[in-house]
Amino acid sequence: MTVLASVSLATFLVTGLAATQFRSQPLASSNRLARDEALRQSVNQLEDQNRALKARVQALQNEVKAREDESARRSSAVQQVKALLDEQRAIAGLTALHGPGLTIQLRDGVDPNDPADRSLGWTIHYQDLQDIVSLLWASGAEAVTVNGQRVVPTTSFHYAGVNILINNANRLTGPYTVTALGDPSTLANGVGDPDQLAELKSRNRIYRLGLSWLRSTRLSVPAYDATFLVKNAQPLG
Amino acid sequence: MLNHSADRTARLQRVIVVSLIGLALGFLVVVQLRSQAVVARTLAAQDDTSVALLINDLNRANNQLIQQAAALSQQETQLRQALTAGGADAQAISKELQTLRAVTGGVPVHGPGLQIRIMGPIMDFELQDLLNSLRTAGGEAFSLNGSRMIGSTPIVSQRNTLMIGGHAVSAPLVLLVIGDPEQLEPAADLSASSLQTRVQVDIQRKSDLTITEVISARPLIYAQLGR
Repeated sequence: MTVLASVSLATFLVTGLAATQFRSQPLASSNRLARDEALRQSVNQLEDQNRALKARVQALQNEVKAREDESARRSSAVQQVKALLDEQRAIAGLTALHGPGLTIQLRDGVDPNDPADRSLGWTIHYQDLQDIVSLLWASGAEAVTVNGQRVVPTTSFHYAGVNILINNANRLTGPYTVTALGDPSTLANGVGDPDQLAELKSRNRIYRLGLSWLRSTRLSVPAYDATFLVKNAQPLG
Repeated sequence: MLNHSADRTARLQRVIVVSLIGLALGFLVVVQLRSQAVVARTLAAQDDTSVALLINDLNRANNQLIQQAAALSQQETQLRQALTAGGADAQAISKELQTLRAVTGGVPVHGPGLQIRIMGPIMDFELQDLLNSLRTAGGEAFSLNGSRMIGSTPIVSQRNTLMIGGHAVSAPLVLLVIGDPEQLEPAADLSASSLQTRVQVDIQRKSDLTITEVISARPLIYAQLGR
């Protein structure tokens, strides 16, 4: 038994040592570096909390849906309202969908390291992603995701410093994939129109942003990973 | 002798199994630390201001998620109590339906908010930025010059003409946004400050705005339910 314990402890310690060494390398001695480390640690903790809260919200949504299904089985009046509710859920992005569509890909390009070029045209900005999404809606998209995040009626794109955020502070990093369900030809024609996304296409040629799109016969998009809280906008009447 | 040999074999097997478990555990620790390090490396490249802004957004998002979870929990309790009593709570389900219709722009709505008048032409990205800021600040319903807007409303500039959902709109632009004015006003002020270098912007708090325009739901023709 002693041998067993010794062997397992030794093996664990040897592999664990690599981790300890790996972890201790970036430790800083100065206050500034310690503060930077603390800030980054806060981000990691808040992102962990964010993931846990979303999982909690999704679990509760499933529970609510199960109670609603049960209610609908008991009452025909509730059944009618429930059918309308399910329809609204699909419209609002609270339901996973699949179908034909288009996938668009792009990524940060190559930094020209040119002192005369301070445009940052080689990086993908949140406006680029929002322009693509807006064009896809205009081209008849029925559902859109960006890096797997469903675009819903309340979605906003913005910067927090250099971070591109969408929905509930989801940090988007390249490469970027925009998926749209709809008629693949109409969507591709919209994106391929030379008058659309002209500035992005020009930067793509200069900085090699890898902008490309692909039609598919079957794509899937997940449901929005949270829900909607309406506190102020009350229906009229 | 045979028993002694079998004992040794069994003992050797246990040693091998336990060392494999130890190895796997150690490997898992390293993998986990490595994946945290990848995230940290991405963050490490950022300046403190970016990280501080990210923390601010994460705090706000997490607070909203906590409120969502509380509302869902309450809804679940209400539905469960009705079921336990042998009935079904049609009112709770109707309320949720109305909430979703308000979110998707399917019903006229009213409530407190802001009226933002923009006295000159603006570009699509300027309007998008304003809407992004207001949505992040909790804006719940929007209309511009009589057009209801939600996240899927296309906003594009075509030859200096601003198009909302395929319709041209021209200055003066009147944007109505329903939400908590306390939260909305600082966001509107910030966006207006960049617009005001070119055009006059007037922001007014309103205790009760009405948005009567609705959006017809886009039918799902190609998309089907399920993954």
